[in-house]
Amino acid sequence: MPHDHPHPHNKPLSDVELRVKALESILTEKELIDPEAIDLIVETYETKIGPRNGARVVAKAWSDPAYKERLLSDTTAAISELGFSGVQGEDMVVVENTEDVHNIVVCTLCSCYPWPTLGLPPVWYKAAPYRAKVVKDPRGVLDEFGVSLPEETEIRVWDSNAELRYLVLPKRPDGTDGMSEEQLAEIVTRDAMIGTDVLAAH
Amino acid sequence: MPTLTPDIVPGLIATGASARLDEDVAPKFSIGDAVEMKNINPVTHTRLPRYVRGKKGIVERDHGVFAFPDTGAHGLGHKAQHVYSVKFSFRELWGEDHAENMYLYIDMFDDYMRPAP
Repeated sequence: MPHDHPHPHNKPLSDVELRVKALESILTEKELIDPEAIDLIVETYETKIGPRNGARVVAKAWSDPAYKERLLSDTTAAISELGFSGVQGEDMVVVENTEDVHNIVVCTLCSCYPWPTLGLPPVWYKAAPYRAKVVKDPRGVLDEFGVSLPEETEIRVWDSNAELRYLVLPKRPDGTDGMSEEQLAEIVTRDAMIGTDVLAAH
Repeated sequence: MPTLTPDIVPGLIATGASARLDEDVAPKFSIGDAVEMKNINPVTHTRLPRYVRGKKGIVERDHGVFAFPDTGAHGLGHKAQHVYSVKFSFRELWGEDHAENMYLYIDMFDDYMRPAP
């Protein structure tokens, strides 16, 4: 292994690291996996698939009303038009934020997340505190993210416990009328597509 | 030759494996139906979280026919059935002191629900 990585070498491996290494060894010895295949999967999600994909979907929906209509009615196919499909995005639902409605996504049972459009989930999304609190006190969670919504705003929390994966279509911020689709994609944050962020006016 | 090799990784990632089934199964519920989640406590795999067991909601959308994880996870077959988006008010889930305009949507299988009494 090359020594250009920053971790200290005098520390024992954590329980999780040991477990992962043990699993990889067993799967390799049983000839179920080639470890290079695992490296390729990790590399793909580290460098190729991430929230910039989802941002392109959002920017196109904001710029092209016909696309937005397809995105809301035939979601998986519309996202696939942009080349984003596959594992953990096989059956997609897009929920739209408006003046009156704010949507937030969670998976209370584990960490289900739309990989083709958002990549792998952030640690907090997988952690018990977020999963337990957002279904009971979403405004409290939003407050922790620095987001405050008017009391009149209807809150919808989506628990993606089954086989559907959810992407929030954020409300297009004020002051972005002159922006191109490419410029719009730049301002869309990952958290806005989970629902824990609201995009600021420009 | 290992089962998972680098050459098949790009195809696997791009294709995935939908749990949707092309089977003609009649839905047990319709959009707008008032439903109650069964208060069951399986010790085996389930996608019915405790916080909705025994709670009443409204069927908002029919997602179509999917494999049932509760049986599939234990090698007991797909048990193809409809999955619905069911809407619950926070007041139903967490009590009267919650705001009226807060809702929880969750995807529920036919086997988890009965018509609300």
